[in-house]
Amino acid sequence: MSWISLEKATALKEKFNYIDVAESNGYVSVEVPKDKLISFLQFLKEDPDYAFKMFIDLTVIDHGQKENPRFQGVIILYSPEYKERIIVKSWATEETLPTLTNLWSGAKWAEREAWDMFGIKFEGHDNLVRMFMWEGYPYHPLRKDFPIRGIEDVELPSLNEVERGDQLEGLFNYSRMHTALPTLEDLEKTQKARMPKKKSQIVLNWGPLHPGTHGTIWFLFDLDGEYVQQCDIIIGQLHRGVEKIAENIGYQQFIPYTDRMDYIASINENHAYVVAAEKLLGIHDKVPPKAKWIRTMMAELSRINSHLLWLGTYALDLGALTMFLYTFREREKIMDILEGITGARFTINYFRIGGVFADLPAGALEAIEHFLKDFPERINDYENLLTRNRIWLKRNKDVCVLTEEDVYDYGLTGAVARASGVPYDVRKIDSYDMYDEVDFDIPVGEVGDSYDRYLVRMEEMRQSAKIIQQCIEKLRNDFTPDDPYFLEPEDPKKLKLSIDGRGLKLPQGEVYASTDNPRGELGFYIYNKKAAIKPHRVRIRSGAFYNLQVFTKAIIGRPIADAITLLSTIDPVVGETDR
Amino acid sequence: MGIKKVGLNRNVKPQSLVEKIFFLDFMKGLKTTIKHLFRKTITVDFPYEVSTPTIRFRGVHGLRNVDGTEADDFNSWIKKLKIKPPEMGETRCIACKFCQAACPVPELFTIKAEKLNVPEDHPHHGLKVLSVFDMDLSKCMFCGLCTQACPTDCIIHTDVYDLSSYTRKSWVLNKEELSRIADDFIARRGKEKFDEKSKWRQDQQIWPDYDTPRAKAWDGWMPSYTPNYINTQKGTNNSTESQ
Ligand code: SF4
Ligand code: SF4
Repeated sequence: MSWISLEKATALKEKFNYIDVAESNGYVSVEVPKDKLISFLQFLKEDPDYAFKMFIDLTVIDHGQKENPRFQGVIILYSPEYKERIIVKSWATEETLPTLTNLWSGAKWAEREAWDMFGIKFEGHDNLVRMFMWEGYPYHPLRKDFPIRGIEDVELPSLNEVERGDQLEGLFNYSRMHTALPTLEDLEKTQKARMPKKKSQIVLNWGPLHPGTHGTIWFLFDLDGEYVQQCDIIIGQLHRGVEKIAENIGYQQFIPYTDRMDYIASINENHAYVVAAEKLLGIHDKVPPKAKWIRTMMAELSRINSHLLWLGTYALDLGALTMFLYTFREREKIMDILEGITGARFTINYFRIGGVFADLPAGALEAIEHFLKDFPERINDYENLLTRNRIWLKRNKDVCVLTEEDVYDYGLTGAVARASGVPYDVRKIDSYDMYDEVDFDIPVGEVGDSYDRYLVRMEEMRQSAKIIQQCIEKLRNDFTPDDPYFLEPEDPKKLKLSIDGRGLKLPQGEVYASTDNPRGELGFYIYNKKAAIKPHRVRIRSGAFYNLQVFTKAIIGRPIADAITLLSTIDPVVGETDR
Repeated sequence: MGIKKVGLNRNVKPQSLVEKIFFLDFMKGLKTTIKHLFRKTITVDFPYEVSTPTIRFRGVHGLRNVDGTEADDFNSWIKKLKIKPPEMGETRCIACKFCQAACPVPELFTIKAEKLNVPEDHPHHGLKVLSVFDMDLSKCMFCGLCTQACPTDCIIHTDVYDLSSYTRKSWVLNKEELSRIADDFIARRGKEKFDEKSKWRQDQQIWPDYDTPRAKAWDGWMPSYTPNYINTQKGTNNSTESQ
């Protein structure tokens, strides 16, 4: 497991006598007093023996109204040298914490999110405004005293069906009251707050409902002629409070909600959550190998599916319409396979904590193999159309370069990090499921421009195809129809595990587990105060969220047309950035 | 661990002068286009032609009726919940509400059972029947958890997917409608999906062999539905144990 060892963390105590080291299922965390936090983190980042250079995540836990102090900051860091992660915690007394933005620029959005959702002030943050909600929204929704239904204080009868002036009775009827909604003035205030100082004359709004933004993202460009001087992004239009839902629902019941985060690669979202829950239960190693092979295969199939959509829309945005039609043809085949195996084309919900819900139907491996046989030729077609096309080169070569420094500073992951020369791949580092048994390469770029990001994703598709081929061989030769696809716990009294997930209890403890989503590292941090059927805190570390953040930096000084290229090569999905 | 470097000059050659002058990059692209010009059509001409959903497809729900294919523990469930033993053609639902408990959106169900109003000496005295079973499918995620929780294999997913309507009211299905949908589905495709004990068949096909429109996207190819695993018996190969 890619985690700092207890010894190494305890050794820190010699230098810093004020820290506490704790361990839960192998996940070592260090607790630091608030006033010493920054100097401690600086040491972790700069000391060559630790070198926790890479920012992974920052979040807050609300321990409940009765606790004092009530809020605790949680910081997750990664050391590329030693391939280790660490959790640093600090109590937010008086609801404040020092800002980390001087150490990692990536903390900027994470701190804004923590302020938005928990009302924790970060001292020294240069523009601590809300992240998802609008300015003027009165609540902090992830606090434990905020009800899951929200506070319904606006009357909005138009949602209801009215027949002869009367409300209908029945299940389909909604309450006339609705949770707060932003008014036009609120939105204006939000826009002003996001970009308090205009540098030049024009502020261009792009989105939130523009086909080029691939979802509801609202960009603000401060333009000097064609060139961007300043940029900010307003997201949150698709914010559904997925973390809040996770904290109010059973473990298995949450899996369909993860489908709706990154809906392009819903299998990978399921995967991350399932792996995290299994690790907290301590059963990840006991999951039947057949289920693990199936999961690995499906996850890679879904990666190809997601990259095909990326390629199609990316080329479409840059003017190559035909690509879209070609990639959708292959996507259709993958969709057919997914529909046959899982019963759904888009929101899959196939994985379960403990395996998968059903074995493969007859003809499944055969169909996947048939798809793979054809696929390399299809990729060659795509490459023929794009890779060395002069327009493509002009639009992508040396556009919006991201350096290795940026990767660590902003916590970039996935293809975006790899294109900048950082071989950061959770599949290799953390080797969940069967990834340590399959043979594949990590494609790595050199320059870090849009063209490299394109090439990395193209190569990733080839590598995924290679992984799937290995999975097929393994499944076909080594397993029988009678092998289990779902874990039967040895002692059903202790651990109630079922496919529908009723009554599944997870133990006390904490876990951070991540998987390599097509859009970057998708991590789930689950914190449980005591064994319960609902988690106390679920934090979703979204790769797309952090990758999108670097947009505001990489676009500075570039012409406005590059915004399309950059956004496409970062490839965020709003369902995941907003959650 | 394997790292593969990609980039211009690495695995991609930059454009040569000849290519630039003669627009060879465009020619190459056009070649791909022309190649596709002579391929067969792959699109399905909906709605004149429709492809059949796969057998595992999670569409509109149905409530199955008793038809002699119940699982062996069906009667013990009926006894446990004090339900009037259903006749042929009556619903299998025993109002246990397991489906609601497993559902991520439990408020979409309204399930009620009623005590039978019969004299004391009647054999069904004190037993209950299902009286209300409403589902608001506008709130449903079609995740399938309810069907996996049902102990009597009553609630199932069918292959019906067109649920559009002009009113919200028509998304709320009651138990008669749900039964009708299930009956229709079982009559059409029940044998494909379930075995004699109402469990999923082991040899379900990835998609139906009569689904020719779907084959269009696959250039006319159809799987031959050979079993996925070469070995049918456990223990014929030891390498599984070594993991
Ligand atoms: S399919 Fe899922 S959301 Fe719909 S009723 Fe069943 S359990 Fe609930
Ligand atoms: S789980 Fe099945 S038997 Fe129980 S209430 Fe639901 S449909 Fe009826």
